Amino acid sequence: MSDEEHQFESKADAGASKTYPQQAGTIRKNGYIVIKARPCKVVEVSTSKTGKHGHAKCHFVAIDIFNGKKLEDIVPSSHNCDVPHVNRTDYQLIDISEDGFVSLLTENGNTKDDLRLPTDDALLTQLKDGFAEGKDLVVTVMSAMGEEPNCALKDIG
Amino acid sequence: MQGFAERGNSGDLAQLQSTMHAIELACTSIQMQMNLGAAEATILSLSQTPQPYQTCKFILENSQVANARFQAAAAIRDAAIREWSFLSSDEKRSMISFCLCFVMQHANSPEGYVQAKVSSVAAQLLKRGWLDFSAAEKEEFFYQVNQAVYGIHGVDVQFAGINFLESLVSEFSPSTSSAMGLPREFHEHCKKSLELDHLKTFYCWARDAALSVTNRIVESDSAVPEVKVCTAALRLMLQILNWEFSPIAVSLGGRMGTDSPKRSECNQVQPGPAWREVLVTSGHIGWLLGLYAALRQKFSCEGYWLDCPIAVCARKLIVQFCSLTGTIFSSVQMHEHHLHQLLSGILQWIDPPDAVSRAIECGKSESEMLDGCRALLSIATVATPSTFDQLLKSTRSFGTLTLLCILMSEVVKNLMTNNSEEETWSWEARDILLDTWTALLVPVNRNGGNASLPPEGKNATATLFALIVQAELKAASASAFKDDDSDYLQASISALDERLSSYALIGRTAIEVTVPFLTGLFSERFERLNQGRGIIDPTETLEELYSLLLITGHLIADEGEGETPLIPNAIRFHLPHNLEAEMHPVVILCGSIIRFAEESLKPEMRASVFSPRLMEAVIWFLARWSCTYLMSPEESRDSTTVLLKFFGQHGQGKLVLDIIVRISLTALVSYPGEKYLQALTCFQLLHALVQQKHICIHLVALDSWRDLANAFANEKTLFLLNTAHQRSLAQTLVQSASGMRNSEASNQYVRDLMGHMATYLVEITSKNDFKNVAQQPDIILPVSCLLERLRGAASASEPRLQKAIYELGFSAMNPVLILLEIYKHESAVVYLLLKFVVDWVDGQISYLEAQETAVVVNFCMSLLRLYSSNNIGKISITLSSSLSTEAKTEKYKDLRALLQLLSSLCSKDLVDFSSDSTETESTNISQVVYFGLHIVTPLISLELLKYPKFCFDYFSLLSHLLEVYPETVAQLSNEAFSHVLGTLDFGLHHQDAEVVDMCLRALRALASYHYLETSAGKVGLGSHAAGLKDPGGNFQEGILSRFLRSVLQLLLFGDYSPDLVSGAADALLPLILCEQSLYQKLGNELIERQANETLKSRLSNALRSLTSANQLSSTIDRKNCQIFRKNLSNFLVDVRGFLRTM
Repeated sequence: MSDEEHQFESKADAGASKTYPQQAGTIRKNGYIVIKARPCKVVEVSTSKTGKHGHAKCHFVAIDIFNGKKLEDIVPSSHNCDVPHVNRTDYQLIDISEDGFVSLLTENGNTKDDLRLPTDDALLTQLKDGFAEGKDLVVTVMSAMGEEPNCALKDIG
Repeated sequence: MQGFAERGNSGDLAQLQSTMHAIELACTSIQMQMNLGAAEATILSLSQTPQPYQTCKFILENSQVANARFQAAAAIRDAAIREWSFLSSDEKRSMISFCLCFVMQHANSPEGYVQAKVSSVAAQLLKRGWLDFSAAEKEEFFYQVNQAVYGIHGVDVQFAGINFLESLVSEFSPSTSSAMGLPREFHEHCKKSLELDHLKTFYCWARDAALSVTNRIVESDSAVPEVKVCTAALRLMLQILNWEFSPIAVSLGGRMGTDSPKRSECNQVQPGPAWREVLVTSGHIGWLLGLYAALRQKFSCEGYWLDCPIAVCARKLIVQFCSLTGTIFSSVQMHEHHLHQLLSGILQWIDPPDAVSRAIECGKSESEMLDGCRALLSIATVATPSTFDQLLKSTRSFGTLTLLCILMSEVVKNLMTNNSEEETWSWEARDILLDTWTALLVPVNRNGGNASLPPEGKNATATLFALIVQAELKAASASAFKDDDSDYLQASISALDERLSSYALIGRTAIEVTVPFLTGLFSERFERLNQGRGIIDPTETLEELYSLLLITGHLIADEGEGETPLIPNAIRFHLPHNLEAEMHPVVILCGSIIRFAEESLKPEMRASVFSPRLMEAVIWFLARWSCTYLMSPEESRDSTTVLLKFFGQHGQGKLVLDIIVRISLTALVSYPGEKYLQALTCFQLLHALVQQKHICIHLVALDSWRDLANAFANEKTLFLLNTAHQRSLAQTLVQSASGMRNSEASNQYVRDLMGHMATYLVEITSKNDFKNVAQQPDIILPVSCLLERLRGAASASEPRLQKAIYELGFSAMNPVLILLEIYKHESAVVYLLLKFVVDWVDGQISYLEAQETAVVVNFCMSLLRLYSSNNIGKISITLSSSLSTEAKTEKYKDLRALLQLLSSLCSKDLVDFSSDSTETESTNISQVVYFGLHIVTPLISLELLKYPKFCFDYFSLLSHLLEVYPETVAQLSNEAFSHVLGTLDFGLHHQDAEVVDMCLRALRALASYHYLETSAGKVGLGSHAAGLKDPGGNFQEGILSRFLRSVLQLLLFGDYSPDLVSGAADALLPLILCEQSLYQKLGNELIERQANETLKSRLSNALRSLTSANQLSSTIDRKNCQIFRKNLSNFLVDVRGFLRTM
């Protein structure tokens, strides 16, 4: 993660904490969780007990939202886990460069040019065609824990 | 032997030779795994050739390759079934007798599977022609078979004959028959005919065959060839006794009764009085038992052992005879005599139990013992407990029940000593014996108490129950320190549940002993806990208590399964009722458990004794117990039971209710993160309490209930519950309002409980900076909780609360839209929002007045529009494939919720309780739903329709819409219309017959509408039906033409279940009427494609009679539709066979 990237997200995140504590028992499938300092999306939760008459513990299987790696963690149900603050920002697409970088218009009128499109060719063509046809394209960028991916959610509106 | 119609001459011999070589080569290469594709094609082409019989026959008689003969037989079958309708009756007959003769002539061939195949081909062809052949023709075949089975051609032919009968019976038995593309009626007809005219004869043949070789077997000291014949005959008899005999109306003797659930589950053999002579009075059983007894003597000889085929078959047949019941017995005595005879034969397999058990542990095969248990099970299903018990009395000093107890005790002891995870023989024996107990003890009908056991039987069951409980406790304490890795596997829980229910049945037979026995065990454990606190590790005792609670719960109360369970009859009738309430054994037992449970309210006891698992058992017990005993509405009616009085409204009931509520609150607040415990508390205990109005009356008056409501509304800890549990809690609390005095009070109660939650939502969503903080986890969590709680409250809708819940939802409408926009990327929140709206609308819609309806409908449309604009054209990009599948699943769930919303709105037209029936300015629901469909359909992709539930919901909504509002469909835009119809086309080719049926219904509605409208001179579907030019200038045909093609395609060439034919007929008729010229064209094309002249004329005749037979007219009324259904199924039987092979 480079320094330039930091400047872009600083506006939305200013002063806000990157993670929040939350009781493990309340974290459900499809929620977010921090495992090994990575923001993840939970894809599976199961509970078991430590010994028959012990306390419940949660077993999380989660996927790193940025690199897609699978992570697991076991936490006593009544303990706290860190939950990442996952932020999403919409930008208007104003240009796609040859090398796959996009130019985005921020809310305050500046441009953001550090985002690279995914390497998926079919999708790239679709985006480019849509853009060439003059459609309004909105790019939603997901960020969490100070990290912004080079891969994000896109809306073709 | 007569062959096929000989058409060939010597010049064809070379041709036959070369085909045979080709097939042989193909078979060999399949075996060698070479050139599989080509080889399979060669073999397939043989069965696809028209009239390949000559060739097949040649291969069967001349080929040296067994597989080639096998394939030739298969080809005969395929071709003959396909071409059956235009084979001459001579050809049919000669084909069957060829197969039969082949089997007999090659009876000693070593390749048994070829013989079996040819035999089954003969059986299938005979069945195919069963209704065409005259009785004399059939007799001719059977004469041949009879000669063989009689044994005049030797042992091998005898064996072949019996085998043929076995294939024949299996072919005629509906569950094992092959479909042959014929309707169910055909199979039913054949079954009845065989049962009536031949089945008993076959049985006699088999019996005679077995009798004829019995002496030879009994006298020899080693295996003789006759054993094979005898085994086959026994197997055939067993198969015939497994036949599903058509019910005979008159019932006589025994325990008959068709209403009890028990009857249907058990496999009973009821062949009726016609079989009496053969099976019962002719000494047949004596012979069978004698045969097996003789075999038992031979197990030490060479060629015989406990599990040798003949012994296994004989045992199975004996067990099957135990299930014999019904009108075959002329009197109860005759039945008892029959059972007595069987039991004395079986006794040696299981008696004495300890010796049998030891022998098995020393390595003897357990199969005979298990068969003995199965025989007891079969007897138990056809006999009353007292008959069952008496059976042994004449030969022994004790009854059968005692024997059953001793046997079961041996099994339980064996389980105790070999406490392993693996399934052993004793597991299986235990399960069979428990089924036996269930069969004996489950009351035949609900009102009649279960017949009480004789005193000797009671003593035996009391001892057995004590032993079982000890065994369970021992297993519990042994497993106490095992890690709980199985995390509540659903399967093992329900297995345990079933086992405990059977234990409870045993325990209830001696209830006056078993209840005090359990009380003793409890007080012993409580004592041990109290003394050992802080000194001894209580874990083992805790696990024992856990087991005891489960056993006790099953013993003293039944599961309601949605109804209020009554006190078990054993407790009601077999415990003294003239006691002081305090002395009643059940009161003592329950009282001590409730006092123990109350201890959990003390923090120090909770910390040292009440582990989450023990607490789960406590909650489970309280839930089960309170359904039956707490403030039972039976209290006043059933004055004999001091028991109900004691825990009734005027007795200790209120006090106990208060304790239960306080324990529930503790379970929710003091066990953070214990999901399973909280689930039990919310879904089972509290949920069950508020189902009963008279309990609610007391609940809402309790301080502890108010504490619970307060904690729910204000305490942070309850916001930490799983959101599903919060939803359930909200629902429960709102439901308890039914206990309030009047409607105003209930509505006020709901407002007080939920009002400020809605207000909170309004407040946070109206804050300016909400958008900036909304994504923070500490905001998402409370928002989700509130939505779940609102949804819970909404799903508790009932007429009396309608007002308050409408207001609740009304105030949340604006916040919901704001939240939907803000959380558009937060799928979890979006789903909660949608589900809340779905449940709210579903509960409210039928009560709304016109104006309210308009408000709700507008809100729903805004919601749909917003959801659609947020999601249409959205592409998710993620590196992880599992995340993208998750995203798809989320989308599916969202859309399913939206469809449910539309369905609920639809229901307004059907069920409407609003007061203003005058059509002032009521909303047109059909318009609304079509508008909704317009919004939703672009989001529905064929990809999403692969989710079965979604697919089902979508098509049921669609067919409903098209059936009820076809007129509005024409108003859909071209794009939306073709999208809807595209999905319909998809559904038509779906695998699920139900989905296809719904699509056919939709099509019928659409085509009928168009036909009726156009006949009346209106436009109908207008341009949708007429077809149009696409932008490229190509003409696209109208949708009805397209569907006419696809329905015909499906019917003639597709694979589908025969059940669909009538639905397809209903759709096809209006389609044909709408598109007559196209139909003519398609029909002509079909005819032109046939090269063969005979087939051509058959097809054109069939097509003609499809639309003209039985005075079919061009209307679509009910009668005409029925005629067309009949025509269509005739048409299909006629032509589908040859059309499909092209």
